[in-house]
Amino acid sequence: MENGTVIVQSEDQVIQHEAENVRTPLLEFWRKFKKQRMAMIASSFILLLFVVALIGPFIAPYSAVEPDYNNILSPPSMEHLAGTDAFGRDIFSRIIEGTRISLFVGLSSVFVGAVVGTVLGLISGFYGGRLDSIIMRFCDVLFAFPGILLAIGIIAILGPGLGNVIIAVAIFGIPTFARIVRSSTLAIKATVYVESARSIGAPAKRIIWKHIFPGTISSIIVYFTMRIGTSILTAASLSFLGLGAQPPSPEWGAMLSSGRDFLNTAPHVTFFPGLAIFITVLAFNLLGDGLRDALDPKMKD
Amino acid sequence: MFKRKYLATFLTSLLAVMLVISGCSGQSSTETNQKKATDDKQDQPIAKKEGNSITIAIKDNLISMDPQDTNDTLSGSIQSTMLEGLVGFDKDMKMIPVLAESYEASEDAKVFIFKLREGVKFHDGTPFNAEAVKVNIDRVSNPDNKLKRYSMFELVEKTEAVDEYTVKVTLKEPFGAMLNNFAHPAARIVSPEAIKKYGKDIAMHPVGTGPFKFLEWDQSDHLTVEKNPEYWQEGLPKVDGIKFKPVPENGARVAMLQTGEADFIYPIPTEQAESINGKDGIVVENRPSIVARYMAINTTKKPFDNVKVRQAINYAINKEAFLKVVYRGYGSEMDSIIPEGLQFYSKQTPYPYDPEKAKELLKEAGYEKGFETTVWGGNNSDAIKAMEFIQQQLGLVGIKVNVIPMESGTLSDKIWSVQNEEDAEVELYYGGWSSSTGDADWGIRPLLAGGSIPPKSYNVAYYQNEKADQLINAALQTADPEKRKAAYAEVQEMIWEDAPWAFLVVEDTMAGMKNYLHGVYLLPDGSMSAREAEIK
Amino acid sequence: MFRYIVRRLLGIVPTLLIVSIFIFLFVHMIPGDPARLVAGPDASYQDVELVRQELGLDKPLVSQYFTYISNLAQADLGTSMKTKRPVFDEIAARFMPTFWLTVWSMAWAIVFGLLIGVISATKRNKWQDYTGMFSAVSGISLPSFWLGLMLIQLFSVQLGWFPTGGNESWTGYILPSITLGAGVAAVIARFTRSSLMDILREDYIRTGRAKGLKENVVVWKHALKNAMIPVVTMTGLQFGFLLGGSIVVETVFSWPGLGRLLIDSVSFRDYPVIQAEMLLFALEFILINLIVDILYGVMNPQIRYE
Repeated sequence: MENGTVIVQSEDQVIQHEAENVRTPLLEFWRKFKKQRMAMIASSFILLLFVVALIGPFIAPYSAVEPDYNNILSPPSMEHLAGTDAFGRDIFSRIIEGTRISLFVGLSSVFVGAVVGTVLGLISGFYGGRLDSIIMRFCDVLFAFPGILLAIGIIAILGPGLGNVIIAVAIFGIPTFARIVRSSTLAIKATVYVESARSIGAPAKRIIWKHIFPGTISSIIVYFTMRIGTSILTAASLSFLGLGAQPPSPEWGAMLSSGRDFLNTAPHVTFFPGLAIFITVLAFNLLGDGLRDALDPKMKD
Repeated sequence: MFKRKYLATFLTSLLAVMLVISGCSGQSSTETNQKKATDDKQDQPIAKKEGNSITIAIKDNLISMDPQDTNDTLSGSIQSTMLEGLVGFDKDMKMIPVLAESYEASEDAKVFIFKLREGVKFHDGTPFNAEAVKVNIDRVSNPDNKLKRYSMFELVEKTEAVDEYTVKVTLKEPFGAMLNNFAHPAARIVSPEAIKKYGKDIAMHPVGTGPFKFLEWDQSDHLTVEKNPEYWQEGLPKVDGIKFKPVPENGARVAMLQTGEADFIYPIPTEQAESINGKDGIVVENRPSIVARYMAINTTKKPFDNVKVRQAINYAINKEAFLKVVYRGYGSEMDSIIPEGLQFYSKQTPYPYDPEKAKELLKEAGYEKGFETTVWGGNNSDAIKAMEFIQQQLGLVGIKVNVIPMESGTLSDKIWSVQNEEDAEVELYYGGWSSSTGDADWGIRPLLAGGSIPPKSYNVAYYQNEKADQLINAALQTADPEKRKAAYAEVQEMIWEDAPWAFLVVEDTMAGMKNYLHGVYLLPDGSMSAREAEIK
Repeated sequence: MFRYIVRRLLGIVPTLLIVSIFIFLFVHMIPGDPARLVAGPDASYQDVELVRQELGLDKPLVSQYFTYISNLAQADLGTSMKTKRPVFDEIAARFMPTFWLTVWSMAWAIVFGLLIGVISATKRNKWQDYTGMFSAVSGISLPSFWLGLMLIQLFSVQLGWFPTGGNESWTGYILPSITLGAGVAAVIARFTRSSLMDILREDYIRTGRAKGLKENVVVWKHALKNAMIPVVTMTGLQFGFLLGGSIVVETVFSWPGLGRLLIDSVSFRDYPVIQAEMLLFALEFILINLIVDILYGVMNPQIRYE
């Protein structure tokens, strides 16, 4: 009985959705998005982050690499807002200059992982059968692969550059994205409106991108925004293996880890880079929620 | 509207957290080298201790309890509570008789005779005698047994039990440093009955003559020993038992000492030494070690084939600041090619910090504009810090250094899988060395002799000096300390001038303990002795 | 469905066989010489060569593979190069500590994650939602070593309530499972919120409401069940990740688990141990994801596997 109702409703919805799209997709999106205060605040902050990433070295109060051996591990003060590190460098300046690398590596690696994972997940979920088995077992192996081994292998094959760290971190993200997208795909495929689109004879490509992909977006956004912090931290752990950014370039994750042995005697060394990562992840999560709501055609309020 | 309120609350609480954290953070120190953490040991009241057993927190998991198949200092240290050798080292790594009452070496360093202590029994009741010693030395010197310490005893031609308590060891060729090999942990004597009974499993059932008996070993976790009431030496052991627990995280080890879950921990991070010392009944003890920290310079590569460039590097690095930044002052500047604690050390004139002179030397060598190079090293936090420091210092004289930390397996592969000198990619290598025999030979030959270039041994500088090689060999042809001393003095001077390394520092050993605990200490090679542990 | 499960179960053996070849090649391909690493930092050349012979590393790769695979066929995982003990014993000793830590961490993470997620979704953009978001972002972006060491500082050193580490008593489980579960709870909370919100906007839920069903019934009975698919997916994956042992948490809390075994064996290139651990992880993920796939069908009978 319930199913019957759904069919009717869904078809209406599909039509309505497309009609809206034709009208003013961008304007409609903006109208919904700007209503969300937190998302607006978050996106201004992210904009600021990008600006800092671009002009960081020009606005930092101190040099990010110049050591000062007479001022090692000093706590925060008016002179050094976030204190100094083990070489006497100003942590605040290093955070500002580190924005570029951390943001770039964090975002691009998640992005690459999300794109590849999403495609794999859509294919796997939509076509099913043998293709599904192969892709999913491949993912299982990737899951089982210890990160440290993968990193050592990537250094050995591709070398230690910054681009390769993005590849490495992206690989860690691929199987998770694939499984999330696959799970949503399975659920959406099973709902009747896709069944009916299929029975009408719509081409697979069109069904995937028009009907299934939009339904997976909210899960993708959630994982994407959560993954940014993890990526920044992972990238830093890889730099300890000789992969990616090397000293003295400031990187949030590496700065954070450098204080691990003396957390209770010089907490500022870990605290401030950690705070930078936290606020960044928070902003992206708020933005993600806003995006999701704005992109959702069913959201009216 | 109310969202703004949340933002304000959020920012205020952040500020509060920041203030709290900055308020309780430690003050920075500007002290220079050779500092002591132990000065105020007696000022604080003695902490409370229940029971008469102690717990020692160590960094890594233990690997083996078979002394002849052990190559990590840590496993060796734990073995020392249960097993003993004919000779051993005291607190300062001076050789002392242990199971041998006396010993002598022939003039040509080929025959060694040990008079054994009488009336000693192994933990399983087997009597300790010349036959037991022979079984052990025969075992390790037989290549078929494939024991990790074979090479220390490969020169042994035969071992004879002259009588019940006299052992005579004859070498195939003279080896002046052999007595030190007998003092090495690898020469500790295991019960011959136990070797027969357990075979290869002896690594999990150590049976010796020491003040403590093996109790249990959970290989994924701790190892426990209990007191040996029949120990031959008067007054020992003084505690009922010792538990050794691997605690890999530096901060967690410190926390265990603070809570009293551990009575002794090592190593402790130098950054925390000062702040925990003298509180909660904790004492931090630092003593000079024989662990040399250096940066090998590949002498076959341009521009490092020019001695002026190598000397310039030595002048360009401020060793005092290095100590302060990397080891928080716990250590001393290296003033010879081997640390002061080794036998036959002779002090050299240090390369003072003089960037002007360094630039001048570079100019003379034709590198006025500097050059770019790469340093390799391990990826622990100290090594990365050290390499970053070197990068900063050499940058000031125009040498651009790329720092590449590597994971241990990759690093060893990059350096030691190279078969030919010409293929070596290494330019600069940050490393450390501890001569576990306490002798100059093992501090110099594997690192700087011509026959020791990779993959044979550890001469990463690819340093070749015939004259030095001759002296190193001559010093092994005799057991006469005076002759050996003269040869090593010359070697040290010669290599110091040649600067195949950037000579950096000798680090301190660092241990933390509760102030009721006595008799547990670290030796200069970084091993630990807990035989005389006592709670007062 | 039944046939599907049987087919998947039967597929495990050939999958693992292919995986074993892949793992073997990969492990042998990465740089690092076990003989040298096992022989130790000051071993002589001879010592290294003796170790190499003893470990059988002087033989050609193909013959090493056949030794490995034929041993595997007899359920023999080989001997650790580093400790010379059977790999099976090494792994067995560490599996249970990791397993129980995983169970406790997952248990609290699921409860809290779901709760926070549902509250956030039903109180969208209210203070409850933002608090939930704040805690979730904390959980995901606080590095475990930081959280772990802070908990030790507070609850072990200052208050003296729990031991700093080790699994000798049940109190030892509390701090590490909080540390380990924080990230999991965060992921579950965020996914629950997001997919529950999706479903609550679906038309059939609206229809349900319009038909006069009670809001609670709508949320808990109809919506949540359908919203669970992404959540179950993520929960399964997290379970798998934790079962592999967390290197950081096990290090911080001196936990004798699989994570520390892995890092030890990688740094010694202890091939047999690495291979066995990776096979175990692969098996764990295959089984977990099979269960997850079955759960999809249970939650949403419309999902079919052909």
